[in-house]
Amino acid sequence: MAKSTIYAGLEIGTHKICVVVGEAKRDGAIKILGVGQAPSRGVRKGEIVDFEKVQTCVNDALVRAEDRSDVMIRNVFLGVTGAHIESLNNRGRHRLPDDQTEITEDDVEEAKEIARSVSIPQSNVFLHSVTRQYIVDGVEAVRQPIGREGRVLEADYHIIHGIRGRVQNAIRCVREIPLEVEDVVFNPVAAAQVVLTREAKMQGALMIDFGAGTCDYVLYEDGMITASGCVPLGGDHITNDVAMALQIPNGRAERLKVEEGSVLYDEVPEGEMLSIEDDTGLVLGEVERAFLNEVMNLRTKEILIQVRVRVEEHLGRLGAGIYLTGGVSLMKGVDAVAREVFGIKVTRAGSAPVSGITATFENPQYSAPIGLIRYAQILDSEKPFLSPLKRLGRRMQELLSSVTL
Amino acid sequence: MVEYDRSQSSEGASKTGPRICIVGIGGAGSNVVDRITLDRIVEATLICAHTDVRVLGHSMAPVKIQLGAELMKGIGAGGDPDLGREAALFSREQIRQSVENHDIIFISAGLGGGTGSGAAPVIAEIAKGTGALVLVVATMPFSFEGRRRLAQAEEALELLQKRADALVLFENNRMGELILPKDGIQKAFNQADQLIAQSLRAVSTITSTPGLVKLGLDDLTTALAATNGRCLFGFGEARGQNRGTEALKKALKSPLIDQGRLLHQTRTLLVHIAGGESLTLVEVEGVMKQLGRHVPDQTHILFGLGVDAKLGDAIAITLISSLGLSQLNAHATAAPPSEMLQPRAEAAPAPRREVPVKKAVAPPLMHAEPVAELLFKSEEITPPAHPPAVEAVESIQEPEPEPFIEEEEPTFLDEAEFAPAPPAPPEIAPTPATARIPVRTPVARELAEAARAKESTLASVVARSVTLQTEFAPPQDELISFDNPPPPAVTTIHATTIVARKPASDPQQTFSLGEEDRGRFKDTEPSIVQGEDLDVPTWMRLKKKLRR
Repeated sequence: MAKSTIYAGLEIGTHKICVVVGEAKRDGAIKILGVGQAPSRGVRKGEIVDFEKVQTCVNDALVRAEDRSDVMIRNVFLGVTGAHIESLNNRGRHRLPDDQTEITEDDVEEAKEIARSVSIPQSNVFLHSVTRQYIVDGVEAVRQPIGREGRVLEADYHIIHGIRGRVQNAIRCVREIPLEVEDVVFNPVAAAQVVLTREAKMQGALMIDFGAGTCDYVLYEDGMITASGCVPLGGDHITNDVAMALQIPNGRAERLKVEEGSVLYDEVPEGEMLSIEDDTGLVLGEVERAFLNEVMNLRTKEILIQVRVRVEEHLGRLGAGIYLTGGVSLMKGVDAVAREVFGIKVTRAGSAPVSGITATFENPQYSAPIGLIRYAQILDSEKPFLSPLKRLGRRMQELLSSVTL
Repeated sequence: MVEYDRSQSSEGASKTGPRICIVGIGGAGSNVVDRITLDRIVEATLICAHTDVRVLGHSMAPVKIQLGAELMKGIGAGGDPDLGREAALFSREQIRQSVENHDIIFISAGLGGGTGSGAAPVIAEIAKGTGALVLVVATMPFSFEGRRRLAQAEEALELLQKRADALVLFENNRMGELILPKDGIQKAFNQADQLIAQSLRAVSTITSTPGLVKLGLDDLTTALAATNGRCLFGFGEARGQNRGTEALKKALKSPLIDQGRLLHQTRTLLVHIAGGESLTLVEVEGVMKQLGRHVPDQTHILFGLGVDAKLGDAIAITLISSLGLSQLNAHATAAPPSEMLQPRAEAAPAPRREVPVKKAVAPPLMHAEPVAELLFKSEEITPPAHPPAVEAVESIQEPEPEPFIEEEEPTFLDEAEFAPAPPAPPEIAPTPATARIPVRTPVARELAEAARAKESTLASVVARSVTLQTEFAPPQDELISFDNPPPPAVTTIHATTIVARKPASDPQQTFSLGEEDRGRFKDTEPSIVQGEDLDVPTWMRLKKKLRR
C-alpha cells in the first residue's frame, strides 16, 4: 500500500500569506488537503519589513489551513524570494585517477564538491545547488555517470544563493510562530515544479511568477534549470503607478486595477470613461479607460523587459515558450504584452492538476505554495532510505519533543 | 650508466649550508625560540633577547642576551616601546657579537608590547649591518589587547619593514581559531608558537636547502609582497598511502588559510613540496592539481620542490602567501557591536544648526524627574563617600561637554542661559558604570526622536529650554545640599555629548534620491537599474525623459 506523507508549504508573499497542506502519496500523486490564506501586511517586494505584522498574518493563515485540512502543522517548507537572490551555473571538473577508468560514486561526489566550491560573497548562503547534468569526457547530458567508463567527469551545477541575513530573517520570523522550517525554497523553483510539465522543461521554457512584490523567473533548457532569479518589481508597482497617476489611494487603485484594468489600450475606444467609486458607491470622479490602461501597460512592459534582460542569452532555445503564473498573470492582456516583449509563445498557467480543492490549483496565485508541496515530495524521494530502526528512532524523537512541548 | 646523484652535487655547491641564526625578542619571541629549541627542528644558533631577566632565566635558548641590563635592571619594558628601544641600543655590542657570522638571521617578535616592538627594529638593523639576510617573523596583537597596543605594533611594523628583507606577519586574532573554544589558553598560545616555529622552519628550509625546483628568497618576498599584508601560512606533513593528499589537507587546515578559503583571493602563492627519496612526480602532480581548486586561475604560483632525505617517507607541503589586511577583514564576519549602535546612527540627521540645540535641551528635561526620585531615595540610604572616584570621573567627563558648548553659535538668546546647564554637575559624585547603562539607552533614543522631529519649530525648542531650567534647577540645589550621587545627571551628559558630536564627525552628504516619488516603496531598498529607480512610476520617468 502506498504510504503518504503530509507536507505544509508556507509562502509569505507581498499580497497574501498562504499555507497549503498537501498529501503526497508514494506513487507521486498530490492531494491538497487545505489552504489557509491571509492578506499580507508588512511585506514589501517579497521581503519581510515588519516582523510582528507578518507573524500575525502567518498565524491567521496557519489557523485557517489547520482548520480546513484538519492537520496540525508543525513543520513547513518556506518559500522565499527577494532581490538579493541570485543564481549562477558552475562546472566542476574531476579527472579520474590514472589506474581507474570506471566512474564511481566517490568520483561523482568529488566532481560535485568541486562544482559547489564556487565562491559566493561571504555574506551569502546557498539556497539550492541543483545538479544540471554530468559530462563524461565531453559528452553532455549524462544523467547517471556512475558505472560509465571515462577519464574526465564534469558536474554542472545551478547554484542559487542569497544574502544570509535576509534569508535567516524569514526563517526566524516563522520560527517564532512557532513553526519549524524544514527547508527554505526559492519560490519560482517550487512553482516551476507544478507549472511546468516535464515536456515543457525538456523543450525549454521560461516560467515567470508575476507576483505582487516580485517577478520571479526560472528558465529550463533541455530539462535542466539554467537560469533563475528575481526582479524586485511586481503587481504592487502597477497599483502604485495607478494610484499616483490617478491620485487615488492605494487600496482603491488596487481594486480598480483588478476589476477594470487591462494592459491593452490600443483597442480601447478613445473617450471611454470609467467612474471611480469609493467604498460607499459614491462616484468620486471619472478617468479615461485608455489612460488607466496605458499606465498599467507601461509598467507591466517594463517589468517584463527587466526579466527579459536577465534571460536574454537563453531566449533562443525555448520551445515551449513562456509560462506566466502568479497573481498578476490574471490581469487582462498580460499575455499579449509578454508576447510583445519576448516574441514567443506565452501561456498563462496555474498549477498542474492535483487532486483536492480544484479552485486552488487552477488559480495561478497558488502556484508557488502548491509547488512547495511538490518540491518537498521530490526532496523526500531523493533522500536516502532510512532503515526501519532509524525511522523508529526519529519517530521516538518526535514523540518526545512533542511531549516536552 | 653512471648514476648522477643530484642531491650530493647540489650540496657540494654550498659546502656547509647557510648559517642560520634565530633571535627571539621579548616574551612572544622567546616562547617561539623555546619551542624551536625543544623541537630541534632547525639547525641554527638560537638566541633569546629580553629585558626581563626572569623570562631569560626560564628560556631554554643556548644564547641569552639581557637587553639594557644597566638601564632596565632586569625588569621588563612594561609595554613601552621606547624603553625597549633604549634597552636594545644599550646592548648593541652584545647583540652584534651574537648575530655576527650568520648568513640568514630570523627575528621573531610579538609586536605591540615593549620589548618586542621597541627592540626588534634595533636588532633588525644590527642584523642587517652584519650583512646577513634578515627575515622577520612577527605577530600582531589580539584585538582585545586594545587600540594602543595595535598602534605600537603598527609603528614597529613600519620600522621593521624598512629593515628586514622579508616580513612574515601573523595575525594573533586568527590564532584563536587554531584550537577548540574549550581548550585552555595555554594550549592556544602553545599552538600559536608552534605555528610560528613551523613557519620559521619552513622558510629556512625553503630558502636554504637545495631543491630540484629551487625557491629563493626572492620568491618568498614576492609571495609576501602585499602591502600591509598578513601572512597566510599552511604546513602539512604526512606519510603513508595518500600522503600527498593528506599533507595538503593538513596544510589547508591551517587557520591562517581558513580551510583554503582565503586562498581564493591571493595573487601569489608559494608552494613548496618536500619529500624523501620516494617522492614521485605523480604525487606532486596530484597535489598541485588539488591545490588548483583552491586557487584562482590567475594566481601566480611559485612552485618549489625539494628532496630531503631527512623526511624519509613523508611529504611536507608548505603554502605561503599574503593577503592585505582589508581583504582579510572583509573575509571575517562583520563586527557585532555595529548592530547595537545602528539605530542611533540612523536617527542622527543631517547636520542642521537647530538640531544640536534641540538635543542639548531635550535630555535634561526628561531626566529631571528621575533625578528627583533618586535623590529622594538617597535620603534614606547613607551616601557612600568616595572622593577619589569623584575626582577621577570629573577629570574624564568634564572636558567632554566643552567642545560641544563651543560649537554652539549664540544665535538664540536663551541658549546662552541654558547651555551651561547640561555640564553643570561635575562636582556631583559619580555612579558605578553598571548603573549608567539602563538609563543611557532610552536617553539616546529620546534624543534621536527629538532630533528626527526637524519640523518642530524654534519656539518649541525655546519652550523646552525653559522647562529645563525650571525643572532641572531645583533638583540640582537639593543635590548639593545632600551631597549625594545622582546617577542620571551624569549619564545625561554622556548621552548628550555622544549624539551631539555625531553630526560633526559625520561628513556624509545627503544624496538627492528621495526627490522622486516612490510612493509605497518609500521605506524599501530601491531597485535601481542603470541609474533609474524603478520604484518610481514608469509613466513619471517616461514623462521626464520626454521632457528632456
